[in-house]
Amino acid sequence: MNVWLLGSAVLLFALVPCGIASFRGETMERLVGLEMAGMIVTLLLVMLAEGMGRVNFYDLALALALLAFGGGLVFARFLERWL
Amino acid sequence: MSAGTIAVEVLVWVAVATCLICCLGIVVMKDFFERLHYMAPVSTVATVALLAAVVIEQGWGQAAIKMSLIVVVLFLMNAVLAHATARAARVRELGHWQPALGEKIEGVDQIEGRRHHR
Repeated sequence: MNVWLLGSAVLLFALVPCGIASFRGETMERLVGLEMAGMIVTLLLVMLAEGMGRVNFYDLALALALLAFGGGLVFARFLERWL
Repeated sequence: MSAGTIAVEVLVWVAVATCLICCLGIVVMKDFFERLHYMAPVSTVATVALLAAVVIEQGWGQAAIKMSLIVVVLFLMNAVLAHATARAARVRELGHWQPALGEKIEGVDQIEGRRHHR
């Protein structure tokens, strides 16, 4: 167990408020919870990859960062007028 | 325990603490636009702290290059996403994002009584 794995275990708890924000409140406030969760999981994947010493898994975090960005933009665009 | 290990531990816990505080912020804050601000520290402070920790731990290798790509993506992503989300919220609320009649926003000229169609 190293500081990276310990830190990622603690970082998991940061997803609880993101879940609360996503399941409660106005539509746009839920979107903020989703976007924040996307960033937190990106950092989580980085810390797990570093903690386990597997450099190849950084690609997962990079892919998620890009996809969460695209997904958030599409959501924001649809929530503007259509949903 | 070497200085490098201590530095890595401090940086990792700074990043984790930033994320925890900001996640609490998006739940505690009342107003939607205040909540949006809490995404910024995660994509700036936490990512740069993790990048520094990776560079200290592994030097400028493959991991650090990939991590700096992630930092760049998250930097740009958060700025664009926060703006797009705020704009979407305003359009959802008012039907347009420009200032409504009588609303004073510096640097943005008001619309002349025309209401944009949804």
